Amino acid sequence: MRQAGTAMKFSSIKTMPKNVVRDTLKSIERNNLMSVASVLSVIAALIILGIFLILTINVQEVTKDVESKLELKIFLQSDFTDTQGKTIQQALEKSSLIESVTFESAEEALEKFTVSLEDYAPLLSGYNSENNPMPASFVVRVTDPEDMDEVQNLAMSFRGNGVEYVRYGQEYVEALVSFNKFTNTLSIVVLAVLSMISIFIIYNTIKLTVFARRREIGIMKYVGATNSYIRAPFILEGTMLGLMGAIVAFLIIRITYYYILGLVGGNLFLPVDATLASPDTVMGQLLFFFLIYGGFIGAVGSIFAIRKFLDV
Amino acid sequence: MIEFKNVTKGYDKNKSDALKNVSLFIDKGEFVFLVGRSGAGKSTFIKLLLREIEATEGSVYINNFNVSKLSKKEIPFLRRKMGIVFQDFRLLENKSVYENVAYAMEIIGKSEKQIQKRVPLALDMVGLSHRMNHYPHELSGGEQQRVVIARAIINNPSILICDEPTGNLDPETSYEIISILEEINRRGTTILVVTHDREIVDTMKKRVLTLEDGVLKVDDATGRYGYEV
Repeated sequence: MRQAGTAMKFSSIKTMPKNVVRDTLKSIERNNLMSVASVLSVIAALIILGIFLILTINVQEVTKDVESKLELKIFLQSDFTDTQGKTIQQALEKSSLIESVTFESAEEALEKFTVSLEDYAPLLSGYNSENNPMPASFVVRVTDPEDMDEVQNLAMSFRGNGVEYVRYGQEYVEALVSFNKFTNTLSIVVLAVLSMISIFIIYNTIKLTVFARRREIGIMKYVGATNSYIRAPFILEGTMLGLMGAIVAFLIIRITYYYILGLVGGNLFLPVDATLASPDTVMGQLLFFFLIYGGFIGAVGSIFAIRKFLDV
Repeated sequence: MIEFKNVTKGYDKNKSDALKNVSLFIDKGEFVFLVGRSGAGKSTFIKLLLREIEATEGSVYINNFNVSKLSKKEIPFLRRKMGIVFQDFRLLENKSVYENVAYAMEIIGKSEKQIQKRVPLALDMVGLSHRMNHYPHELSGGEQQRVVIARAIINNPSILICDEPTGNLDPETSYEIISILEEINRRGTTILVVTHDREIVDTMKKRVLTLEDGVLKVDDATGRYGYEV
C-alpha cells in the first residue's frame, strides 16, 4: 500500500497546479463578498502600515542626515601646551567611537567667526593674534550620535589638563534619538495589531470557504485525496487574497506619496536641512515588504482556519 | 479482503459499546450484505473500514494491512483501495456526470489521457454513456446512483462499500442498481452492501451478516435476512 502511495503522490504533484488554481479562483468568485471583505481588510491594514513605514523610513533618513552633521566641540584652555594638545588628540584618535578629529586653532576660529559675521566683521577689527578671545578647539565627529555622552566624558577627563569645556547639541540629539526609537516601536505595535485583525478576517473567509466546500471535501476524503491536496486550495486562496490586498494597498500608497511629494516639493519645514526619502527607494522597499507581508498574512489566516475546520 | 479481529468500539464510557467483540472474515471477491436495525452498529462498521474512527479494542485488516496501525498520512492511500457508494449520492451539482466521475481520478493525480480513456468505460459499465454531459439535477435517482457507482469504481478499488445504495430508490430501480453491483462483483471486486432492503437480500441469496446491538448475531452464508422486523 505504501509503495503505491508514493507513486501516486508523485504523479499527483505533477497534475496538481492546474486543478488547484482553477478551484481556487472559482472559490474566490463564489465567496465574492467575503473575499472582497478580506482584501479590503488587508488593504486597510497595509495602508496604515504603509503610512507608518514611510514615516519610519523618513524619520530614519532625517535622523541619518542630521546625525552626519552633528559634531562635538572640545574647547581648549587659552594657555594649553603643545604636549597637552598632542595627548588629547592621541586619546581622541585612539577611541573607536570617533570618526574624525580636526584641530581648529584660535586664529582659525577668529577668522571663521569674522567671516560668519559678514557685514558686521569690522566689530572684530580690534582683535588680533595677541588679544584673540576665541579658544582653540578640537572638532569631533562621532560614528553614532548615541555615543556623544561617552565622548564628552572622555574629553572632560582632560579638564584642567588643556580642556576648558565641551559642547554639543545635547538635547537635540537626545530628542532625535528618542523620536526615532518611538516611531520604530509604534510601527511594530501597529504592525502586530493590524496583522492580527487581518489574519482574523482571512481566517473567517477561509472558514466560510471550507463550509461552502464541505461536500466536495467529504468526497475528496473518501476518494483518497491526500491531506495536502485538500488543503492546498485553501492556503492558496488565503495567500491570493493577501497578495491582492497588498498590490491594491501599494498602488494607493504610491499614488498618494507622489501626490504629497508634489505638494511639499521636498520641503519638510523642519529646522534642519532634510528632505523626504527618495520615492524610488521607499517604493521599492514598500512593494517588497507588502508582497511578503500580504502573502504571509493570507497563508497564516488560512492555515489557522484549516487546522480548526478542515478535519482531514 | 476484510477481517475484523475481536473489534470493540465505544464512543462514550457511560453508554454501551457500538460494536462488541466483532470478528469476521470477508474474502476477496465475495458479495456480502450487512443488515441490522438503526443503531445496531452498521455505520460504526463502515467508519472503521474507512479509518474515520479507530477501534477501541481489536484490529481491522484490509488486504492484510492492519488499518489501526496506519499513520494519518497513509489513510488516503487506504481509501484508494475502496470505493464508496452513499445513500444520498453526494454528487457535485455544478459538475456534469463526466466531470463528477473524472473528479475522482483528478484528485489522485491521474493524467488527462487516462481520465479520458477510463471515464467513458466506467459510465458504459453502469449504462450511462448517453448521459455523460448531463448535470446531476437532470437525472433520476437511479441514474444518479449509477454515476456514484461509476465514480466509486473508476480507480479500480479492490473493495466496494455501499451504504444503503437503494435507500432512496423504488424497488425496480433498486434491482437495477444491485445487478450493476453484481456485475462489478463478477469482475473480482469485493462488495459489501449495507441495507435495510429485506426483499433484495432474500432474493439475492448472498452471504448476510446481521448486527444486533453491536453484536454480530448471524453470519448466514445461504442468504436470509437475519432478524424479524
